[in-house]
Amino acid sequence: MKQNRKGNSLSRAFVALMGSEKRQSITIPLFAICLSLIAGAVLMMILGKDPIIGYKSLLQGCGLLMKKNYAGGKGLLTDFMSYLDIWTPMIFAALAVAVAYKAGLFNIGVSGQMLIGGFIASITVGYSDLPAVIAKPLVIVICMVIGALAGSFIGLLKYKFNINEVVSAIMLNYIFQYIISFFILTFFVNPITRQSNPVGENARLTLQNVQIAGMKTVIPLGFVLAIIAVVVMHYFINHTRIGFELKAVGANKKAATYAGVNANKNIMLAMAISGALAGLAGATYYLGYLSSIQPKVLASTGFDSIAVCLLGNSNPIGIVASSFLVTIISKGSMYMNSSVGLPQEIASLITGLMLLFAACGVYIRARPKRTKDRLDQQDRLEAAERKDSASEEGKEDDR
Amino acid sequence: MSEYIVEMRHVTKRFPGIVANDDVSLGIKKGEIFALLGENGAGKSTLMSILFGMYEPDEGEVYVRGKKVEHFSPNHATAMNIGMVHQHFKLVSNYTVTENIILGMEPQKRLGGFLPVVDIKNTNQKIADLSKKFRLEVEPTKKIEDLNVSMQQRVEILKMLYREAEILIFDEPTAVLTPQEIEFLLDIIREMRRNGKTIILITHKLEEIKQVADRCAILNRGKVVGICDVAETSTKKMAELMVGREVSFTQEKSPFRPGEVKLTVDHLVVKNADGFPVVNDVSFSVRGGEIFAIAGVAGNGQVEIADAVAGLTKVSSGTITLGGKEITDAAVRARNRQGLAYIPEDRQSWGLILDFTLSENLLLRRYDQEPYCVKGVLHREKFDEKSRQLIEQFDIRSGQGEKTVVRSMSGGNQQKAIVAREIDQDAPCIIFVQPTRGLDIGAIENIHRQILEERAKGKAILLVSLELDEIMSLADTIGVIYNGQLLKIAPADTMSTNEVGQYMMGVKE
Repeated sequence: MKQNRKGNSLSRAFVALMGSEKRQSITIPLFAICLSLIAGAVLMMILGKDPIIGYKSLLQGCGLLMKKNYAGGKGLLTDFMSYLDIWTPMIFAALAVAVAYKAGLFNIGVSGQMLIGGFIASITVGYSDLPAVIAKPLVIVICMVIGALAGSFIGLLKYKFNINEVVSAIMLNYIFQYIISFFILTFFVNPITRQSNPVGENARLTLQNVQIAGMKTVIPLGFVLAIIAVVVMHYFINHTRIGFELKAVGANKKAATYAGVNANKNIMLAMAISGALAGLAGATYYLGYLSSIQPKVLASTGFDSIAVCLLGNSNPIGIVASSFLVTIISKGSMYMNSSVGLPQEIASLITGLMLLFAACGVYIRARPKRTKDRLDQQDRLEAAERKDSASEEGKEDDR
Repeated sequence: MSEYIVEMRHVTKRFPGIVANDDVSLGIKKGEIFALLGENGAGKSTLMSILFGMYEPDEGEVYVRGKKVEHFSPNHATAMNIGMVHQHFKLVSNYTVTENIILGMEPQKRLGGFLPVVDIKNTNQKIADLSKKFRLEVEPTKKIEDLNVSMQQRVEILKMLYREAEILIFDEPTAVLTPQEIEFLLDIIREMRRNGKTIILITHKLEEIKQVADRCAILNRGKVVGICDVAETSTKKMAELMVGREVSFTQEKSPFRPGEVKLTVDHLVVKNADGFPVVNDVSFSVRGGEIFAIAGVAGNGQVEIADAVAGLTKVSSGTITLGGKEITDAAVRARNRQGLAYIPEDRQSWGLILDFTLSENLLLRRYDQEPYCVKGVLHREKFDEKSRQLIEQFDIRSGQGEKTVVRSMSGGNQQKAIVAREIDQDAPCIIFVQPTRGLDIGAIENIHRQILEERAKGKAILLVSLELDEIMSLADTIGVIYNGQLLKIAPADTMSTNEVGQYMMGVKE
């Protein structure tokens, strides 16, 4: 038993680190993140760069760390505000995935719902002359309604015809993508950028070219909305009757039916809420961060949000943390590329690894338990072997 | 080398919050039928799962043929000629009998000298021979889905014999069988002993042990409380050891005083997905203070009747009336609120949400009512308060009280939770489907007592059970179902067990 001592203290540290089963919903994603950051660091070293400088450049690119020098009229705040600008749609999109996931549904159509919401809002309000106080709220409402309709259509197909939501969502993504491309290219195309005509400043949810403390910056109004959405969804899922029913349908549809819950109604509802949140993501993406729509392209935010949601344990608060991190990596990679010379793809690679490690959660979850059981057993045996109170105290201190 | 073929020394196995096996030591001799008797959650299945390699003991040692077991896995157990028939069969339903038996160790031959293919033909013959030797008549080329439960069990037994198992573990083998089938199975077990096999029988049915077993170990809360020679020990003594107190086999039943009709089912027809009528023109009514029991072999439509009354299955034609109001097309919740409680057959897929906490499950019928939910907002503290009361009242045991995730609870306590939830609603009509399936004597006694208490309160009770004993001891009126039709409805005291059994087999018209 003595020769295991060193391995034991490592195992003990591991168990202590992972904590109790309740805490593991936080420690396991953290563990996954650490592993993937280490893997990313190794990769940077292989490419001959200093990983500390590499990671620092990610933070600098997001305005979380001072850069060495800034171009005229720009500063830390500029970077940080534009970071918030791209973080916002990610929060909405990940919340959309989470709500559906709680009801046992996999909404892979977030990108499509973002696009259709953003497109309809662009052509109705975005190209109009409505005053900003009316146009901005109207954009939000239109995107939510259109997103909710698109989402509940998937729910309808699921319960009326028993079509798997993943299949119909992927197909709808294609349909939205190409039909909208057709309309953009036929009616709304900007001949120079080959994208849709930019929407007016009146409808835009991100205020452009604002001067704060002598720095030119943007103000993403949608961010406030995103934080409100997080709080509302957290409350909705955990403390309301409808949230309880959604979770019941997701956890066991049969037992939910037995309890008197209308499972079909809840499938529709979950997809409608999910779609509405996706619509909000579309609003803050196409009429906030961007001002136009690139034809034939779906926003990667919609797909990355699945990873973000899983990493955040499909918990609204967890999603804030995980989307914060994933957005740093994706947004900061541009600056990392230009300043350190590391390929931008490393960002996607690290995000991919995070998802991979997070998906291994079941294994990681089982591991500390098994190790703990083994250690507990050893402790008991040792305690039995030498009934020495002093050694007992020593072990207490270990904990 | 000891006289035992299997020996367990000081085996302890813990699960979160529960010690499943606590310092268990026992020895099993070669060529005997050794029974393991104990309440649900007493640790019988866990102990045998250790022997079969599915769990590793936390402490203690296991010896097979005098050799210490070092590696715990079903593969190692099979290599040591240990076989196990699980309570829930592990068969591929669209494979044939032979294909299931050889799965994982397919005999190969070379087609044209090089192409490896599975040698089905010869194996079919081998399995036919094997089944003849042990009098386990099965058609090797039949598909599992076309066989009934008893035949499927024979396939499981053949699977062990084909793998040359010498030590055979049976986990609750008679739970799903009719009385006649049980007789037959016990014969098979005796036949295997004659062939020199060692048999371990996990059960909580005393009369079976009395009939076949040589020796018997009794477990109570994870501990061995006695190992006895079956021939020299009385059933009563064994039952006492098992439960840890005196048990009464016959329940005190108050005199039958039927009230007014509470539930009426009239010309009910329920069709399955293929349009085949699984319930065919069934009519009956249940009065207050009456236990109406539906007896029948599994799969004859009794569960569908219960589901139709509870609103979980669509009714093709006919009507269902509850307390004077027709509920044929009412929603599940509407029926529940109108006074219908339902203890479903499959507690894990219908009755509980396994990943929810005990408290959430106990309030599954009421979470949307005040004071648990006010204006759409849940009040968790009220959930917990109510749950603690029910846990106390119905003696539901779990690792962490009302916060326990139901998945981690034992089957008996899961059932207690459902019974507690349904009885607590004080509904005038209660449906019990297989309420004691897989439970031990102590728990069965407890649930039977509760059913009779509800009867005494004037509730109308519809009981669906596959256990004839249960029906005979509880029912006031018995309806026997065969092929979706109620062949006979009669007061319980006018029919003998034998008669009911004959109707169940469809022999008597």
